[in-house]
Order: sequence, then structure tokens, then C-alpha cells
Amino acid sequence: MRERKAKKGDPLARAVMLVCSSVCILGIALIFIFIIKESLPAFRELGPSNLFGAQWSPDVSEPAAGKYGMLAFINGTLLTTLGGLLLGAPLGISTAIFLDQVAPRRAARVIHRGVEMLAGIPSVVIGWFGLTMLVPFLARISGTGGDGLLAASIVLGIMTLPTITFLSLEALRSLPPEYKEASLAMGATRWQTIRRILVPAARRGILVAVILGMGRAIGETMAVQMVIGNARQAAWGPFQRTSTLPSRIITDMGESSGLFRSALFAQGLVLLVLAMLLILAIRLVNRERGRGR
Amino acid sequence: MSPKTADRVASAVFWAMGGITASALLFIVVQIFWRGLATALSPSFFLGKPRAFEEGGGVLPMLVSSVYLAAWTLIIAVPVSLGAAIYLAEFARKGSRAAGAVRFCADSLASLPSIVFGLFGMTFFAAYLGWGTCLLAGACTLALLNLPVLMRSAEESMRAVPAAYREASLGLGAGRWTTVRQVVIPSAMPGILAGTVLTVGRVLGESASLIYVMMLVTRKVPSFSPFSNAAPLASNIWYTQTEAIIPDYRRVVDGGAALLLLLVLAVNLAARALGKAYSKRKGVKTADARA
Repeated sequence: MRERKAKKGDPLARAVMLVCSSVCILGIALIFIFIIKESLPAFRELGPSNLFGAQWSPDVSEPAAGKYGMLAFINGTLLTTLGGLLLGAPLGISTAIFLDQVAPRRAARVIHRGVEMLAGIPSVVIGWFGLTMLVPFLARISGTGGDGLLAASIVLGIMTLPTITFLSLEALRSLPPEYKEASLAMGATRWQTIRRILVPAARRGILVAVILGMGRAIGETMAVQMVIGNARQAAWGPFQRTSTLPSRIITDMGESSGLFRSALFAQGLVLLVLAMLLILAIRLVNRERGRGR
Repeated sequence: MSPKTADRVASAVFWAMGGITASALLFIVVQIFWRGLATALSPSFFLGKPRAFEEGGGVLPMLVSSVYLAAWTLIIAVPVSLGAAIYLAEFARKGSRAAGAVRFCADSLASLPSIVFGLFGMTFFAAYLGWGTCLLAGACTLALLNLPVLMRSAEESMRAVPAAYREASLGLGAGRWTTVRQVVIPSAMPGILAGTVLTVGRVLGESASLIYVMMLVTRKVPSFSPFSNAAPLASNIWYTQTEAIIPDYRRVVDGGAALLLLLVLAVNLAARALGKAYSKRKGVKTADARA
């Protein structure tokens, strides 16, 4: 075997495959370069104090024109993401436990398929559902317009549900069956086994599931834009209208130019950085998990 | 509370949680279909031309754009992702630095918000490369967006091919490349196809990254030039409800949403059927949890 040589065509094929692989590296590099390049004017001419300020009034006709602060939208992004996770994480994790441990096989299969279906629903369709069903419903029970932080959080909860459910399920299923068997053999009930053995053993995988769900919530654009009200002010109450970074970008990009446009790219850059932070967080969790991938 | 009672309570809670998840899903799907399916399935809608200021318009050009966009995206993304997957699964040495870098970048790409791809597409393909806002720029953007998932599913399918197949081929004197081409890829094909079909579903539903890359120009007649503007169905649904100029825009959006959901579900079912045929043969899973 020592003298096995590369056969004809092997080096060429290898080179071609390597080029294909490098597209990923090139892609992410280009994304960084171009988003940074486009947002540079905003950073240079407005400065961080304006860009990260609380006031967003890009129109020239307004008295406070020239304020490009994105703080309100960062606030909106974080609050809706948090709200979405408060809804999606408990529901997703317990659905995963239900599917793995509690449900009879047939019920588990039906619900599993259903959640798969949910993962495939396009975000505009969920947004349209939110706008025509959820918002009127919230309006009726609250006596407000219905759109705002709470509506966006519920929509995000629905959208993070499949991600969190499936990845938690995967984490639970990757546990050795002996854990469960040993616990049950010692006389523990199913709930004790779940709470004391299975969930603690799978906690890192479940954490990764929640972080990936968070990534999905932070970047979701269309569905949120349709139900959040797209106001420029920061909001704290559940029925106050506001914007998230993505919803602001998609709403304003069409009419923007010059510094205004550059400020929107700066918001995109913030999103990019947030997404990369989540990736690093997942790497950290996985490294601790001892799976050096 | 005794452990037995606690166990019963917990079981009830888990049943309730599973039930909530299932019924939320059912509620959404039923609502969307109930309000829009009749419109979506009437030929005057899915074969009709859009109308700007009167009622009764259809969505044929948008439907054509969606399918055309999906086709272009696959033409660009499938060869590249396949090549990358072959490299990762067959050529890269274990612990190779290059492979590690590719994986890290693919993971990062996979987790970027789609709006960021949209910003990139409009500055790079449309502006920097000078293509203008067009369908091809949209297809390239979506190809980049879907590259990691395609690559991962192809890589997994290839890894699931038993090592004995490769050893047999190499032992008979075939080179690596010949082995990949004639043994690994044919065996992994159903899995690769399933991943590809899933991507079609994602392309059909994608809108955030496309709005400003393709410029939603509503056409009466579908255009087949990749360098023309286009408004695929999903983006058009958003645009129609935002602008709300068409007098019966609610009908158009209801119908469009139902039609889009129907298409995506059909495509995903097809992907599952392929994956199932695959796992029956190989005894492996090809579930795509991150979709």
C-alpha cells in the first residue's frame, strides 16, 4: 500500500473540489467586506454617538433630521427575541421531551410531522396569519391596535418552535439508553428520570437548540415587520409599536440614499455581529461538550 | 406530593404542551387554507394576470418567477455544494485545517439572517458587479444562502455510504475520483436529491433577502431573461399587503398565501418521500431539523 499513487484525474478533482469548498469562505468574507464598506460612511460621518443614539429621524423634512440612532430597534430586536424565546423555548423543549419520552409512538409521529410542516411554512405566510388573525385578536382583548411587541413575540415564538423542538429532540435522542434504563430500574418515576437524569445530561444540546432558535428570532424580517407596527420609538409595553433591526431595514431601504442608506447598512452590520456572537457561543458550548467539531 | 402524583401531573403537562404545539400548527394551516384555498385553486387566479387597479387579478407571472428563481438557484448552488461536500467527505484528511475553515464558514453562513444576504446581494451582485436588480442576482444571493444546508445534507449522505463500498472500489484499482463518481455519488443520490428538493421549498418561501435584490416589478407577462426584474410569489405577497393598492388585495394575498403554502408543503412531502426511500435502503436518517 505504501507505493499507492494518486490515480489519473485525482489531483485535478481534488483541486476542483477545494475551489468549490472555498466558495463558503469567500462568501462570508465578501459579505463582511461589503456590509462594512457600505456602512463605513455612516460610522465616519455620524459617529457612534449618533448611530447608536435613541432618535431615528432620517427624513430631511423633519425638524430633528439627521438623527440615525438605532437604539430603539436594537431594543425592539432584543425584546421580541426574548419574548419569542420565553414562548418558544419552554414549549419547544417540553414538546421534545413529550415526543421522546411521553407520547405513544403514533401520536409522536403525527406531531413530529406537524412540527416539520411548521418549519416549512414561509415567513410571509406566518406574517399574514399574524396580521389577519393574531393582531385583530390581540386588539380585541387589549383595546389597542393589537400590533407591537407582544404580537411580534408570539410570531417569533411560533417560528422558533420547530428549531428548538428538533434540536432538543436530537440532543435527547443522542443520550445512551442506559441512563434512562438505570434510573427506571432504581425505581425512579418517569418524571424523576426526565428531570434528574435526561434533561441535565442533554442540557448542552438543549442550550445549543435555544441559541439557534435565538438566531432565527433575531434575524426574522417579514413576519415581524407585518405585526410589529413599525414605529420609530423604543417600546417597552406589550402593545406598543416599535421596530426591530431587520424590520427597519426592509421598511426603509426602498426610500433611502446616501447617509440614510449607510445607516441602514450599519444596522445590518450589527445584525451580522450578533449572528457571529451566537455562532461563537455555540462553539463554546460544543467545545465544553467535548465534541471537538 | 408523592413521586407518583408528581409523575402523573408531569405527564399531563407534557401532553398539554405537545397538544398546544400541535394545535397551534393545525390552527395556522387550517386558517390559511380555509381563507385562501378556494381562491388559490381557481384557474383564473393561478393562471391569471395581475391587475393593478381592478379586482380579479391573478398571479401567474409571480408563480413563473418563483419556479424560475428556484431553477437558477439550484443550477448555481448544487454543483458548488456538491463539490464542497465531496471535498469534505472524501478528500479532506481527518482534522484538516482547510476542512475546519470551510465548516466554520459554512456554519457562519447558515446562521446569518436572510436580510443580511439581501443587503449583500444588492450591493455585490446588483451594484458592484453591475448586473442591476434582477432575477439572477436574486438567484446568486439565494444560492449563497442555501449553500451550507445543501453542502451539509450532501456531505451527510456521502458519509452514510458504507466504507466497504469505497474499499471495494479502491481495492479494484480505481482512483479516488473514479470511486466518488461511480460508487459514492450514485449510492448517496437519494439523500442528495432530498436535500436539493428541500432547498426548492426554502427558495419558494424566501422573501426578505430578495426584495431589494430583484426589485419587485409586477409583470403582466412572465419574463424569461435572468437579467430582468421579477416578483416571485412570496415577495409579492408581502409587497401586495404592504402597498394595498389593489382593491381586492386581501383576496390576492389570501389566495397567494394558500397557494404558496400548498406548494411548499408539496415540495417538502416530495423531499420526505425521497429521504424515506433512502433510509429504507440505507437505514440512516436524513431529517433536516434546521430547515
